[in-house]
Amino acid sequence: MPVVTLYWDELEELVGVDRETILSKLPMIGCDIERVSEEHVDVEFFPNRPDLYSVEGVARALRGFLGIETGYKKYEVKQANWKIIVDGSVRDVRPRICGCVVRGLEITDEVIRSLMEAQEDLHWTIGRNRRKMAIGVHDLSVLEFPLRYTTVDSSFSFVPLDFEEEMTIKEILEKHPKGKAYSYILEGCTRYPIILDSNGGVVSLPPIINANRTRLTEKTTDVFIDVTGFDKNVDKAMNILATMLADRGGTVEGVEVVYGDHVEVTPDLTPSKMSVDRSEVEALLGFELSDGEVISALEKMRYGVIVRDSYFEVLVPPYRADIMHPWDIIEDVAIGYGYDRIKPEYPKTATIGRAHNWNEVRELIKELMLGLGYLEVITFTLTNERYQYDYMRRNRPEAWKYYTPVMHPLTEEHTIVRTDILPKLLEVLSVNTHHPLPQRIFEVGDVVVGMKNRLRLSACSTHARANFAEVRSVIQAVMRELDLNWEVDESDDEAFIEGRRARIIVEGEDVGVFGEVHPEVLENFGIPTPVVGFEIDLSEVFDVGILL
Amino acid sequence: MLSPVEVTLIKALEKGKYSVDEAAKKAKMNRDAVLKASYLLQEKGYAEVTVEVTRKYFLTDEGKRYLKEGLPEERLTELLEKGIEDIKELQQRMGKEEFGIALGWLKKKGAVEVKGGKVKLVKKPEFEERNWLKSVEKGEELDDSKLKTLLRRKLVDYEEEKRIFIVIKDVPEAELGELIADLTPEIIRSGEWRNREFLKYDVSVPARDIFVAKLHPYERIIRECRMIFLDMGFTEIKGNYVQSAFWNFDALFQPQDHPAREMQDTFYLDRCVDLKEEEEVSFVKRVKETHENGWITGSTGWGGRWDINKARQLVLRTHTTAITIHYLALNPEPPIKAFCIDRVYRRETIDATHLPEFDQLEGVVLDKNVGFRQLLGMLKEFFAKMGFEDVRFRPGYFPYTEPSVEPEVYVDELGWVELGGAGVFRKEVTEPLGIKGRVLAWGLGIGRLAMLKLGMKDLRRLYLPDLGWLREVPMIKR
Repeated sequence: MPVVTLYWDELEELVGVDRETILSKLPMIGCDIERVSEEHVDVEFFPNRPDLYSVEGVARALRGFLGIETGYKKYEVKQANWKIIVDGSVRDVRPRICGCVVRGLEITDEVIRSLMEAQEDLHWTIGRNRRKMAIGVHDLSVLEFPLRYTTVDSSFSFVPLDFEEEMTIKEILEKHPKGKAYSYILEGCTRYPIILDSNGGVVSLPPIINANRTRLTEKTTDVFIDVTGFDKNVDKAMNILATMLADRGGTVEGVEVVYGDHVEVTPDLTPSKMSVDRSEVEALLGFELSDGEVISALEKMRYGVIVRDSYFEVLVPPYRADIMHPWDIIEDVAIGYGYDRIKPEYPKTATIGRAHNWNEVRELIKELMLGLGYLEVITFTLTNERYQYDYMRRNRPEAWKYYTPVMHPLTEEHTIVRTDILPKLLEVLSVNTHHPLPQRIFEVGDVVVGMKNRLRLSACSTHARANFAEVRSVIQAVMRELDLNWEVDESDDEAFIEGRRARIIVEGEDVGVFGEVHPEVLENFGIPTPVVGFEIDLSEVFDVGILL
Repeated sequence: MLSPVEVTLIKALEKGKYSVDEAAKKAKMNRDAVLKASYLLQEKGYAEVTVEVTRKYFLTDEGKRYLKEGLPEERLTELLEKGIEDIKELQQRMGKEEFGIALGWLKKKGAVEVKGGKVKLVKKPEFEERNWLKSVEKGEELDDSKLKTLLRRKLVDYEEEKRIFIVIKDVPEAELGELIADLTPEIIRSGEWRNREFLKYDVSVPARDIFVAKLHPYERIIRECRMIFLDMGFTEIKGNYVQSAFWNFDALFQPQDHPAREMQDTFYLDRCVDLKEEEEVSFVKRVKETHENGWITGSTGWGGRWDINKARQLVLRTHTTAITIHYLALNPEPPIKAFCIDRVYRRETIDATHLPEFDQLEGVVLDKNVGFRQLLGMLKEFFAKMGFEDVRFRPGYFPYTEPSVEPEVYVDELGWVELGGAGVFRKEVTEPLGIKGRVLAWGLGIGRLAMLKLGMKDLRRLYLPDLGWLREVPMIKR
């Protein structure tokens, strides 16, 4: 989630209250305060509120929430003669474009800083790292309208931002830092999207980089913003930027976007309307609210509200990118009303509790193993083929059918999900060789075999005199307590010493193995003392319940 | 009476300190028996067993060479005395590195001056170090400051040797045969104890430490949480670690291009499921429509095309909500209260507070007449049962709940701390799955609870247990 840096002097001025008031109320509109310093406060806003990624947006919301300026704020779009002509060839690479002119701005360092930060955060969130949506901000005075949004091939060249020499698109994608960072978006393209002005001068190569000549300077007062992409997210970002600059005192002017089959004027800052049932508000929030309370709450959240007979007609500000459903508005009723004012009420839902067999079996087994003097440990289920099989002198089983590899593991340690617990316990012993002996540990938990969970118990004991008789005694005790008819037979499990290893057989099925761990295994794990141990598949001998 | 081994040992020794070998020789016993007897005597206050670590010093390869050829500064002095003073030439003869070492030491001893590319011998230094090396080689004692110098120059190194000593503190002399030490079955049977006195032990002497077999403290917290849920009438549910993206993401209205779904954050498996079961087909159809256009939920949906192939991909579940939502889809009639405490996976680099797998707790309430206020009531009660009496609520954001809330609990010394998240499942989640009523849901990471309850700062030690810590952390933390 983006962290927005808000400078106190600006924020206090734009909101009109002191920082203590702001700090106490900020969390109640929905954010996490990350850091507070003398100069600024760093705030993490939620990804559903990109309109709060700038000091202007936050000030607008806070003024409403604090009751300084409530209700729907109307934004004008002045008619003008700006035009973008869209060539049909962009359809396959980046079909949608919105344009907007904002005039009469005082472009201070603060405005640039805030604009850049908002731009980056929008790119990251609704833009999905520029893939779905990308923004360019330009000095209007160097552009000759009408603009053309079209495509060119990779040999086309211009001077990209922060460079002094012409580069071809191919070079930009390979060498320019932004080109390298975002070239993946245009991978496989033969034609590249480009915005040109009527003199043929380059404005931008979306979503990669602007032309150097359109960069903002201290003298800039009028800007042109382009937003390109694929869908409605383009309009959402455009509206957020346009309203933000309008709040800075700029005059927003519309740009006519001429597609082959229709014409649109952007930005469209008229509010959308959504109906919210009165009964739905109460049902979802779980308590009664008067119309006045609903209206006041929504107005604090900067909505417009018209009361109809059974519903509220709500005007949704054009910068709100998150309102998909009436419930989104009802949440804002709750926030505007104040979460701290809602009296919690324990739900009357009457049901009877029931434990899952899986965990009931685990509890039983824990009692048993604790009684035998074994200490419980827990370990990761992520592990690797080396520890699970090679170190254990066991053959690697078939992937998928038996064990589950993960894609793109982060470390060599964590490449598969465990199918056995005993190797994990040996790992535990290997990092605890400096602690007093004897060490007796167990884990009862999940392994994943054939992509399904199974419940296993494994335990081991290490000390100078650990031997087969010890582990056989333990197995005898476990099987006696679990009331199982069982037999043993010679095992061929190479993890144990030949002639000191046995299979546990219940009703003709192998359910586990025990024995003296082979010294080569001990060497692999770096354990200097003899270890005896066992592993039992409890899924075989218990009803462990249904797994979803 | 002392046991026979104890008697044998203590009779053979007088007050004083013995190595195990000495004691074994004097008492004509083997080492194991001596040790066993010593520990028993220690419990009774007659002896003390101490472990002493001694260092055995030896020369390193460099040390050996210097002992043979002389230290670099000695050789440099020899050259200087021969009148070779040019730095370049000296470097050539001795090698740059050794010349550097030699010059450094001579300067330190105030024996030379360097001027205009020449080294001048001012006074003849003394070279004691070579004698020290000789002493080390012979195994003679050398005082600490000298050893320190040699260690710093990496001319000597050492091995630590653990030696066990027995200190006899008190010999019960004449009474040895008369007082009862170990109360034996014979003494009880014969009634002999009536006529004899008991040897008095020093009760202040600590005995050997033994360790309790007990639950892992983290599992104890999980058990506590389970009990709370069961007490409150919740049904426990459980699911496989491997889930389809459909249940992990799509059924929860997570858009298919959501960053959390990327390979970056989620462990994907290189396999897909069919989503063929009849029930699931109708779920899939309605979920698809809800994503694309909102279906009949009243939502606008995410727009674009929903791709069933993305839903078919298998993942290691990123949250237990994959299980709760599946359970509710199969049990859509209210009232339902269910919970799940289980392992989840995130593709995160390990550090003190981030692990690639951890345990999550989640509860859901499905009913007709419940809403946000009742969710807050449930949270307040649940946290109170967990021992957090003060709870407050802030707006939050989760993709599948609306309204969403971040509960905070008050913890002494820490103040208000965020603990999990909660909300009412969106209609875009419940309606396509045919869930009838509203679903209150909340969850939290057990690791976070462990940090608060056990005062842990590093979650890693939970999953690669240090037995020392496990043995020492008390069952009840006061």
